[in-house]
Amino acid sequence: MTPDQNIDNAALNWVIRMQDPSFDGWEAFELWLEANPAHADSYQAMAIADQDIAVIAAAVPQPRPALVLQPVLQPAPRRRVPRAWFGGAIAASLAVVAGYAVLETRPAPYFVETPAGVARSLVLADGTKLDLNGGTRLRLDRRAPREAVLERGEVVFTVVHDDRRPFRVGVGSASLVDVGTIFNVSRSGSLTTVAVSEGAVVFNPDREAVHLPAGRSLRAVDGLGTIVLARTSTAAVGGWRSGRLVYDGAPLDDVAADLARNTGLAIVADPAVAGRPFRGVISLNNNHTALPAGLGLLLGVKVVRQGDGWRFAAETP
Amino acid sequence: METGGLEAIFLANRARLLRFLRAHGAGDAAEDLLQELWFKLSRVDTGPVAQPLAYLYRAANNLMLDRYRSVRQTERREQDWVEASDAPVSGLVVISPGETRLIAREQLLAVEAELQLLGDRTATIFRRHRLDGIPQRDIAAELGVSLSTVESDLRRAYRAMIELRGRFDEV
Repeated sequence: MTPDQNIDNAALNWVIRMQDPSFDGWEAFELWLEANPAHADSYQAMAIADQDIAVIAAAVPQPRPALVLQPVLQPAPRRRVPRAWFGGAIAASLAVVAGYAVLETRPAPYFVETPAGVARSLVLADGTKLDLNGGTRLRLDRRAPREAVLERGEVVFTVVHDDRRPFRVGVGSASLVDVGTIFNVSRSGSLTTVAVSEGAVVFNPDREAVHLPAGRSLRAVDGLGTIVLARTSTAAVGGWRSGRLVYDGAPLDDVAADLARNTGLAIVADPAVAGRPFRGVISLNNNHTALPAGLGLLLGVKVVRQGDGWRFAAETP
Repeated sequence: METGGLEAIFLANRARLLRFLRAHGAGDAAEDLLQELWFKLSRVDTGPVAQPLAYLYRAANNLMLDRYRSVRQTERREQDWVEASDAPVSGLVVISPGETRLIAREQLLAVEAELQLLGDRTATIFRRHRLDGIPQRDIAAELGVSLSTVESDLRRAYRAMIELRGRFDEV
């Protein structure tokens, strides 16, 4: 073993030992550092590399409870809405529900909701176009026409840009601000994804202020402390509007959530396969009931019937 | 521990901590770094500290690692790609340590693949040790393997991960 390798081995041992919260070998460590200036260099380089990797490793999906998806029912279940805003009247699940403000100064929210498998488009007063995928619930506000809150589901925002009044989208604990933009936002459980096809958006302008230009996507889970950035084909953003779901390494639980939204079928991924990356294109046609059978081959999983829906499971060897 | 108690121990061990910073390569900056260390510590409400001296050493160690990192980051300009839309997505971007981290998906997939390559047992031992902070002895008991197995798995896993991090820079 060369002297350098000896130093590296020793440095690695220190990195590992110090990971123990009750590590108390500081004086021995100091003596080792003092023995040779090269020791500090080796240790620091390794410790930094270790810190970097730990940040990433913590974000790697591991066997865990399946992502909690809204059970996909048709029609979508009615939700309790504060009566003050709505005068008690909730229209059918598909409809745009109008809100009646009690006081002029209060927000005047209204909700747009689609059941799974049924997409909708609407245009706001400023010309901003919203394409809602199935299984979506979006909160809008008559008094704040440049704001939307995505509670769940998926929306492509084609924003008419106004420098003085940027369009703002709330999703989970995050917010997005447009910089002249077409972008797709999805929300299921605690997972938020954003993909930009034109212009740019800023994710969490008050905190991380991640600038996402066209062709970039972002994936964040509430409370995880990490944001995953990736490249994406601009043509693929919002591809669900034409029945094309394009993936370049998205985990299977994202794919399952997308399929559930788009088809109205209850589709979930087992924890064992939920984190597996998928690359490829899924074409949706109107015959959704035939879809799951063909998916198994494409995704490399076993598609098992579960209740009214389907479940992706590991292939049994 | 109240700041007062920690301060007494800090002052009593000033010379030792200075020596530790110098051993870490602090050189002429050691005095300034010690000031910085105390400035940081005095602003954190730590609650009770069981082993205050070990706590101070660890804080000094982290300070030196942060310093090393910032020197390297200045050299590498790792954040450039965030602004330049046509640059490849590579390089780990750390935005203010302790807060939200940005990760390139290529790197996430690479780490995942590396963990798979290590095998279930080694990957589990690594996760428990590095991410969950479980002492080696407890991991051995938990998985029903010997302590030497845990030790050698950890060496293999940490080394593989550190080498992987090195490869990210070559892209």
